[in-house]
Amino acid sequence: MEKLLKRIGEITSDPYAYVARLKEEKEKRIIGCFPMQVPEEIVHAAGLIPVVIWRGNEAVTWGHSHIPPYYCGIVRSFIDDAVRGKLGFMDGMIFHVRQCLLIMDIPLIIERHVKPEYMKLLYLPPVYPGKATRDFLRSDLELFKKSLEEYTGNTITDDMLKSSIAVYNENRSLLERLYEIRRKKPRILTSAEITKIVWAGMLMQKEDHNELLRDLIPLMEARTVETATTKIKVIPVGCLCQAPPFDVLNMIEDLGMVIPDDDLYVGSRYFANKVNIDDNPIEALAERHLKKTPVCPTKGVWDVLWADDVEEMVKLNNASGVISIHVKFCPPHACYYPDFKSRMIEKGIPEILVQVEHEMLSMEGIKTRLQSFTESLGGNNGEKI
Amino acid sequence: MEKKYKLNRLKTTNDIRPLVDQHWASLREAKAKGEMVAWASAPTFIFAFAMGMKCHFMAGYSAYCGGIGAAVDVLQAAKMGGDLAESCSYHRLHMGMAEAVRRDIPINPDAILPIPDIMIAGRLCPEMAYYAEGLNRRLGVPVLPIEFPIVFDREDVPRIKKYFAAQIKETVIPTLEKVCGKPFDYDRMSEILTVLKKVVTVRNKCWEFFKEKPSPWTLWDYGVSIAPLFYMMGNPVGIAYYEKLLKELQERKEKGIPAIGPEGEKYRLYWDGWLPWAFLGKFMRKLTPHAAVCLTGRYLWEFYPDPDMIDPEHPVETWINLYYDGKEPLAMEYAPKGALHDIGNLIEDYSLDGMIMFSSKTCRLWNISQLDVIDILEKKYGVPGVIIEGDMIDPSMVSDSQIDTRLEALFELIDARRR
Ligand code: SF4
Ligand code: SF4
Repeated sequence: MEKLLKRIGEITSDPYAYVARLKEEKEKRIIGCFPMQVPEEIVHAAGLIPVVIWRGNEAVTWGHSHIPPYYCGIVRSFIDDAVRGKLGFMDGMIFHVRQCLLIMDIPLIIERHVKPEYMKLLYLPPVYPGKATRDFLRSDLELFKKSLEEYTGNTITDDMLKSSIAVYNENRSLLERLYEIRRKKPRILTSAEITKIVWAGMLMQKEDHNELLRDLIPLMEARTVETATTKIKVIPVGCLCQAPPFDVLNMIEDLGMVIPDDDLYVGSRYFANKVNIDDNPIEALAERHLKKTPVCPTKGVWDVLWADDVEEMVKLNNASGVISIHVKFCPPHACYYPDFKSRMIEKGIPEILVQVEHEMLSMEGIKTRLQSFTESLGGNNGEKI
Repeated sequence: MEKKYKLNRLKTTNDIRPLVDQHWASLREAKAKGEMVAWASAPTFIFAFAMGMKCHFMAGYSAYCGGIGAAVDVLQAAKMGGDLAESCSYHRLHMGMAEAVRRDIPINPDAILPIPDIMIAGRLCPEMAYYAEGLNRRLGVPVLPIEFPIVFDREDVPRIKKYFAAQIKETVIPTLEKVCGKPFDYDRMSEILTVLKKVVTVRNKCWEFFKEKPSPWTLWDYGVSIAPLFYMMGNPVGIAYYEKLLKELQERKEKGIPAIGPEGEKYRLYWDGWLPWAFLGKFMRKLTPHAAVCLTGRYLWEFYPDPDMIDPEHPVETWINLYYDGKEPLAMEYAPKGALHDIGNLIEDYSLDGMIMFSSKTCRLWNISQLDVIDILEKKYGVPGVIIEGDMIDPSMVSDSQIDTRLEALFELIDARRR
């Protein structure tokens, strides 16, 4: 197990080097998909390797000439990486420009400074009722498929698409299994390790990630873990488009809390909802996009409540509280947050907000908040009893 | 001795405040009179107006709040409701107003609107839908959502236009018919567009005066005059207002009265982004002593530049075409390629010397790729630009010293290019 975790650690500690190597080893083109809603299956079916674009861990430098500081971390970091030439291994890039206002900043900058061979803007609509939205979504996906066919010179047949969907569905099932084990044995791995496993899957070819998970899962199943009944269980929620800083996850655990599950993008939100393999594949991908849960504040869902989703997760895990992780300057989450908070209060679920920034100047503020949160839940801040 | 410059205020613009006050008062009183009320974001209010509903407009309400000095209290009420200061201030104003009503927080009564029968959430900017979604969660008001995509590439226009049209037919009209309990009033929509066409035609004549050197009026004058072109659409007083404005501009030209006295502007500027509604006076006080004047801006040119596109005989089609048709569809102007085209035209048509790019810290609609946009325009037109960061409403995000330094830098750059 340690060997597998080490491999995952290597991939996620330097995703740039890993993806560049992947391209050479597989002799395939790499397509960066900006999180969170690009249907990677279509890219995969085109014989390309889709990787989910990530937030780097370096301070923004050249990017300052293109993006103001009051933009979310992933947009700033990605632009900085791109204009510094750190993403030269990406042959293509895909942006869903209707996800939020901030993504809309990206296309011109990329096109002007580091235009890749293939660049596609998707207009995937929000989850609005009616045939018009469904038709438009389907046509957006069809055009996406066509543009990939033109790029590669190969037709993407329904069978090819179905087999890519099968690979992705398997990945979703394996990650679900991983999370089930974690739920039963929450301390089997640290939350940072779990996040890295999910994140690695966004960087690896999915078949390879599946293989890795197939090796890892039995080892996790076999391992026994001491159960500490004194630990308080909490559910981290949110952190759209990017992995939460590992320091924050570690801090939560160091303070004596356990994370048995999560509602994070680089977490359970990424692998939620399988694609129905029996349908017409484009229809099926459209169906997945139109799923209202897990509730995403970028997708125009108001009649299903995010707080209800999270309440279920809290109950399922017998958790004591919720830690909202908000990426500073992420408007969809910021605008939704007050309603989430007030519902948590109504439901009697203790909740706290932690805001994370690309360049975290100090962790002290977060530590103080988390300490008092632990205490309010009856914890002892990780001190040995 | 240094020359003293002063602003020669237009008389006609004094007429606008009572008209605007009347508009919002009629909305405030609507429920008591048994009228149906809608709130709308993005230009979707016309459908509610056609049904005889009283309708608010998200940005218009926000500008009004800023204009009447109510914004600080309303933003405070939003904070009490848990809103984060980084959320767009237009969103916060709406959440704040609802919080004030819900919790009885005292705010300027003129800023309180009746809770609507329906919220028409035109999602031109994705955040234009968040307030409606939030108010649905808080107050249970029904939402009528319309995806209103900004277009990045011309080739995408036809299919997006088709989608927009399909939503109007499939969702907007039937929903409003259901809410109001009567068939959609195409005739009323035609009447509204007939008035709009007249207003726009006269307004275009007024635009010509921005080309004069010196200019007899400023972008701020036009900015305070937009209600008849937009959320007061269909009200015939708009025609009279613009005719009076045109007359005053003609008189000014004949008499040689510039907007900036004594002899007119030294710097003719472009203003990008929302107008800073709560700080119009502040900016004017900073610009005028330098004989600098803002004359054009992409935002204020979005109000239907081409009257020929308005065909009252085909009201719904007109509305779709206004945004998704023509040489430069309006739905493209927010995206960088459309912005470059539009700003470039304005620089050339109005002989501008420099650009002020207002970058709102909470609203990124007009900021899209702004730094690159300036760079491209500077290189292409030889016109320098500076960014001024701030907010249209929230004073805590506006810095006097930053405005001063950036404006000085701009004037130096312009002077250097003139030498
Ligand atoms: S983190 Fe939020 S604001 Fe940034 S790209 Fe993702 S959804 Fe948009
Ligand atoms: S972000 Fe800007 S455009 Fe969008 S709703 Fe807010 S103020 Fe309006």
